[in-house]
Amino acid sequence: MSFGVVPRSGNQTLHLWPNHVPATKIGGGGGGSWRVAQRRREGSWSAGLSSSSFRTRAAVEERGFVAAKGSFYELLGISEGGSYDEIKKAYKQLARKYHPDVSPPDRTEEYTRRFIEVQEAYETLSDPGRRALYDRDLARGLHLAFSTRKRFDEELEERSGWRNHWQDQIAELKRRSMNKDAGENLSWGARMRRQRAESSVE
Amino acid sequence: MALSTFSFPSQMPSLLCPHWLGGADLHSHQHQYRLLKTRKRPCVCASLSEHGEYHSQRPPTPLLDTINYPIHMKNLSIKELKQLGDELRSDIIFHVSKTGGHLGSSLGVVELTVALHHVFNAPQDKILWDVGHQSYPHKILTGRRDKMPTLRQTNGLSGFTKRSESEYDSFGAGHSSTSISAALGMAVGRDLKGRKNNVIAVIGDGAMTAGQAYEAMNNAGYLDSDMIVILNDNKQVSLPTANLDGPIPPVGALSSALSRLQSSRPLRELREVAKGVTKQIGGSMHKLAAKVDEYARGMISGSGSTLFEELGLYYIGPVDGHNMDDLVTILKEVKSTKTTGPVFIHVVTEKGRGYPYAERAADKYHGVAKFDPSTGKQFKSRSKTQSYTNYFAEALISEAEVDKDIVAIHAAMGGGTGLNYFLRRFPTRCFDVGIAEQHAVTFAAGLACEGLKPFCAIYSSFLQRAYDQVVHDVDLQKLPVRFAMDRAGLVGADGPTHCGSFDVTYMACLPNMVVMTPSDEAELFHMVATAAAIDDRPSCFRYPRGNGVGVPLPAGNKGVPLEVGKGRILIEGERVALLGYGAAVQGCLAAASLLEEHSLKVTVADARFCKPLDHALIRSLARSHELLITVEEGSIGGFGSHVAQFMALDGLLDGKLKWRPLVLPDRYIDHGSPADQLAEAGLTPSHVAATVFNMLGQAREALEIMS
Repeated sequence: MSFGVVPRSGNQTLHLWPNHVPATKIGGGGGGSWRVAQRRREGSWSAGLSSSSFRTRAAVEERGFVAAKGSFYELLGISEGGSYDEIKKAYKQLARKYHPDVSPPDRTEEYTRRFIEVQEAYETLSDPGRRALYDRDLARGLHLAFSTRKRFDEELEERSGWRNHWQDQIAELKRRSMNKDAGENLSWGARMRRQRAESSVE
Repeated sequence: MALSTFSFPSQMPSLLCPHWLGGADLHSHQHQYRLLKTRKRPCVCASLSEHGEYHSQRPPTPLLDTINYPIHMKNLSIKELKQLGDELRSDIIFHVSKTGGHLGSSLGVVELTVALHHVFNAPQDKILWDVGHQSYPHKILTGRRDKMPTLRQTNGLSGFTKRSESEYDSFGAGHSSTSISAALGMAVGRDLKGRKNNVIAVIGDGAMTAGQAYEAMNNAGYLDSDMIVILNDNKQVSLPTANLDGPIPPVGALSSALSRLQSSRPLRELREVAKGVTKQIGGSMHKLAAKVDEYARGMISGSGSTLFEELGLYYIGPVDGHNMDDLVTILKEVKSTKTTGPVFIHVVTEKGRGYPYAERAADKYHGVAKFDPSTGKQFKSRSKTQSYTNYFAEALISEAEVDKDIVAIHAAMGGGTGLNYFLRRFPTRCFDVGIAEQHAVTFAAGLACEGLKPFCAIYSSFLQRAYDQVVHDVDLQKLPVRFAMDRAGLVGADGPTHCGSFDVTYMACLPNMVVMTPSDEAELFHMVATAAAIDDRPSCFRYPRGNGVGVPLPAGNKGVPLEVGKGRILIEGERVALLGYGAAVQGCLAAASLLEEHSLKVTVADARFCKPLDHALIRSLARSHELLITVEEGSIGGFGSHVAQFMALDGLLDGKLKWRPLVLPDRYIDHGSPADQLAEAGLTPSHVAATVFNMLGQAREALEIMS
């Protein structure tokens, strides 16, 4: 089983779910039943927050791998159609559990990481616009799970990229308009413009 | 160290704080912010506080106060234009908070409106707003700011653009997707007349789902006349922008094309290389290079922009619609370029921008009642009964519970038709086709062919667009499609563009159509059941805007099918019979009580069906009364005409019966409150009672009632 691994670089981490579990409804309705990958028994990673899976993931991370933990819904333990109240409740529960202050001393770092992920999940899912975008990506099989902040920066970069794009387009428009009404152009508009140009010359 | 990942949005650290206190409620953290905010009251300026609350008092608008017409904006710098935009935003929010109206869309186009009026010279340059509900900033900037408090009220400003209101409104709108067609007409007219003004059409991405927009763009590309089409893309592509639980992912393939357009990386690098190569090759190669450029653009921007390019429009974009700089630059450039042909500018905006509550709301505050600006809470009036729309949704849901074949179709009006409730209950049986009524009707016809029972919920005035489909695809083939026509009759603040006055006329003249209407909400439940039961021919029923009258609903919200072609008598009286159709029956009942005060007991009957008519009822009324008055909230050619036709053919008019029809007058009734509109139309209970007295020769009593 291969997976894409992005080494940590400064503030940006992009996690890609390698062989992602398809984005179907998890368990039966809201609440905590976790869909766990088949390979859990073999000791590789799972998509759950239960303590055994946590241990396995801790073990995995000790080996230095960093991989996504599934979708935000799995992280918060709710179904994909969860309402805002469910999300909020799950978030508060998990936030209280994973807050660095209350984490067991030997696991502060991973608890804090978890906490931040949970927070990100909550932020994305509680905003209806971002949730819609996230759901759409999920449906497409893209688990850009924890890269939303990268997307935020991406967006800003995109907007400035747009400017260059339309500046080029305007330049092209101007260039085109030079020979737009040349003789070969027989469109109605071109004919009318030529007519008008001729009559104004007279 | 995980905590070092502080590239989060700035809200993050603040959210962390309460949790240090251990489980503090999110509410208390908001409370903290309110305290912080009051301390932080900034200097007098029209900018928003960063914490998501809004001003409670209207902030001063020094720059906006100096602008009465667009010509006053010509000398403003970009910085001043930005300030003007902010002031305009707060002005709109405060005006709409007092009158109600369409908020989100107007907020999204503030920068665009300011840029357009700064660059172009309205009214010589024609600016057309598709639908017109986003034209509030346009109205404020074009001399109607002082009339904004009368928005959507009787004798006040229209909520849409209206030619008779101002010369700056180039084209009347209300229904969607007409702007490009009209703009092309104006451009061609300008060319024929030899004038030189600009023509600009602003259309939204929702309106782009309608076929007419493509018909117009196709023609524009062919004619090659100079004009500008601005696509105001706020990534909604579904109106009104949400179901009950949140925003719906966009409808249809168009949105993914648009989003690809927006998100495709500008592969500047590739184009830079191409440009570099061209420079080296030299000027004589510029034609070849242009071709390469065009192909490259096609490859780069994906299949999105080539859609418009294929139609013959020159595509520019995407452009940040809230960046005043960019907008003014682009518009100036395009304006200064001679002979452009049709240009398509793709502007990306955010609906509800600038008002935090609107930005966060699922429906982006598309249409709001009066609200409190500082909290965003709308003042919804309490009423004992729900709207007919809600009753219809409930009725349809209970019918669909027992009958698996019932499906519902609407044209981008999930909220307005109440079908969002149906969608939530039956997610796979509700179809939103986008603003495409014609397609919706034929789509329903196709469903009916397969044995399903489609309910097409389309507003009465929007169904006008799909009339040929109703006639040719549904009625001619006698397919059992059910039409639920909401907003029938006069509709109040939306005005004549949304008024459903013609549906009885255009539906009842069709040979195979069953036409009926409920007089109250219980009847509505029964008629939904009746329509579900009619399986061999098309049927339709109309119901008005507004709330029910308060009659008890049928048990379990499930109606009982009525006998087709049977009306009912509500009050037995003598001499005079009032035969009402639909909501007008309530007016007849009120008129009857007015007449009772003058000791005249009249018969009131509810016709229920216009087609097939209850012949027996009409015959009995005609034979046992001297005076028969038919009342309906529809135009001429509807129920009254059908009754007249029948009576004439049956010989009922050959005797001593006096018959009078009361219909909507032969003119368009302007927007206003429903009561005012009814008075203007002459269909209030007083009018009905006065008519009775006039017919009986008692003119004095008639005058008494009317005053």
